[in-house]
Amino acid sequence: MIFELKKVIPTIIADRPSVEFSDVWGNDIQWKKGEFIKITAPSGTGKTTLVHILYGLRKDYIGDFFYEGKNILQLRPSELAQIRQQHWSIVFQDLRLFSSLTARENIELKRVLYDPIITEEQLSEMANQLGIKSILNQPATKCSYGEQQRIGILRALMQPFDFLIMDEPFSHLDNVNKKIAAALISAECKRRNAGIIITDLDKDDHFDYHISLNL
Amino acid sequence: MATARLGLAVAVFLLLTAVQIQTNYHFLLKSPNNKDSIADFLVINKILDNDNLGNTQLDQQLIDEIAKQPFTESVGLLNPSRFKASIQSISNQFPFYTDISFESVPSNFIDIKNTEFTWNPTAAFVPVIVPNMFLDIYNFQFSLSQDLPQLTPAFVKMIVFKLTVYGKNGPISFNAKIVGLSDRISSMLVPTEFIQWGNNYAEKQTDNTVSRLVLKTNDPSNPAIASFLKQKNLSTNTEKLRFSKYRKVIDTVVAISGLAGGIMLIFALIIFTLFVQLTIANCKQEIILLITLGAAPNQLSKFLLKQFYPGNILSIGIATILVVILQWGLKIVLEQQMIHLPVFISWYTLLTAFLLALLLWIVTNQSIQKHINA
Repeated sequence: MIFELKKVIPTIIADRPSVEFSDVWGNDIQWKKGEFIKITAPSGTGKTTLVHILYGLRKDYIGDFFYEGKNILQLRPSELAQIRQQHWSIVFQDLRLFSSLTARENIELKRVLYDPIITEEQLSEMANQLGIKSILNQPATKCSYGEQQRIGILRALMQPFDFLIMDEPFSHLDNVNKKIAAALISAECKRRNAGIIITDLDKDDHFDYHISLNL
Repeated sequence: MATARLGLAVAVFLLLTAVQIQTNYHFLLKSPNNKDSIADFLVINKILDNDNLGNTQLDQQLIDEIAKQPFTESVGLLNPSRFKASIQSISNQFPFYTDISFESVPSNFIDIKNTEFTWNPTAAFVPVIVPNMFLDIYNFQFSLSQDLPQLTPAFVKMIVFKLTVYGKNGPISFNAKIVGLSDRISSMLVPTEFIQWGNNYAEKQTDNTVSRLVLKTNDPSNPAIASFLKQKNLSTNTEKLRFSKYRKVIDTVVAISGLAGGIMLIFALIIFTLFVQLTIANCKQEIILLITLGAAPNQLSKFLLKQFYPGNILSIGIATILVVILQWGLKIVLEQQMIHLPVFISWYTLLTAFLLALLLWIVTNQSIQKHINA
């Protein structure tokens, strides 16, 4: 399971000489399953753009992006859905929770979207670890942003994956909760032998990173 | 949505009822149990008026044309006797005498299954088939006015009488017996061999013209028969064509029911399509998010189909059950009038219900696919 970027530059960034070349943009990169990759960058340098490209949401880039040797741009919708169900999971910066559903329903929805690999008891246990068990039955949008962030993280852990892609996942968490969330993520990734691709504003030691890049 | 589903149920009910009425009617036409109630044999001749007095022969071209009509199963020529004849009693207890004439038809047009309905000059008697109506006239009019005894059909068949044929070599007498009473052809029928022999004896064999024929049809209710006969200035027993009037009424009912059902179905389909479109438009953001999170388009289609389609199936199911109940009620009501219908709805009706379910599935699925991929 390999992510392969070949001189990828988003078209909106390609015209900016100052950011045209970085550790990621314009380079040839390979990320393998099981690797923990940290991408650090200040605001406005394309962290979210990178995450969206890696997750197949954006197609406005030059260069080539392959997953398992397949050009992402040439995948059919059903193939992309299959990869998202089995190989990639994601925590969005803007979380993207269903506003009409409760916290539990948001998480459950991802759990039962395909054959569940996490039991309801495990879900409750993880929610307990993250400190959101008590708010599981509340509408997701009524929860604080920090709680919503943990709901988004828990939702991402409900499926099988080879890579967990996260876009500033701890931006609204205090240090204690950051450590708890990172420990849970780390344990779940190791259980699946999965890799992490995480973007953030600053360097951190939440995970034992194999690769650390600047965008 | 509930209104649309109610409309769909009514539409399907009307369509299925139209199909069931049509199949019931065909069942009545074809079923042997109901054979007595519907005529299969029509005796046809020219309408007699001042223009064709003495010229009522049916020419071969017209006979061929009748035989070629789609409603015609077969045609049998009625062969009249061209000799003078008389019958008289041989018993003093029951005296009668009358001049008479006969006709013959091919044996497959006779509804009296009697192996004795043939004749040769050495036969013990001449078999005769008499219209039921004649016996009724005798029993309920003539016998009363003449102070004679009434006769049962069984007794009539036991009477032997003398039949005399007059030719150039003088009269020849035979014994004759009534072997059957029939409603099919209102004529005194004797075997074809006897008519041929009599015509030969009277030296009238050269004249083979035909004025009447029997038309066998599998659907006397077909309005095309009445229309054809009228066009060719022919007549038949109009009572036997009465079913064509019923048929027109049934066809009209079926057409109205089918048309109303069809229009309602189209409206229901439009409403469903709009409803699917509206629902998907309302959930557009959620659908996009689901796809973003990994839901496959097919997975979503199936999910949405499960939301919309079972309600449609319920409507079709309820409509079908109503038609089943209607058929059951119809059977009970008509049974009292000796009209036998099947207790269950026909395969055609079930097939129509299935096809409607399939049509709805296709329309709903296409509508979902179209709007998900939009």
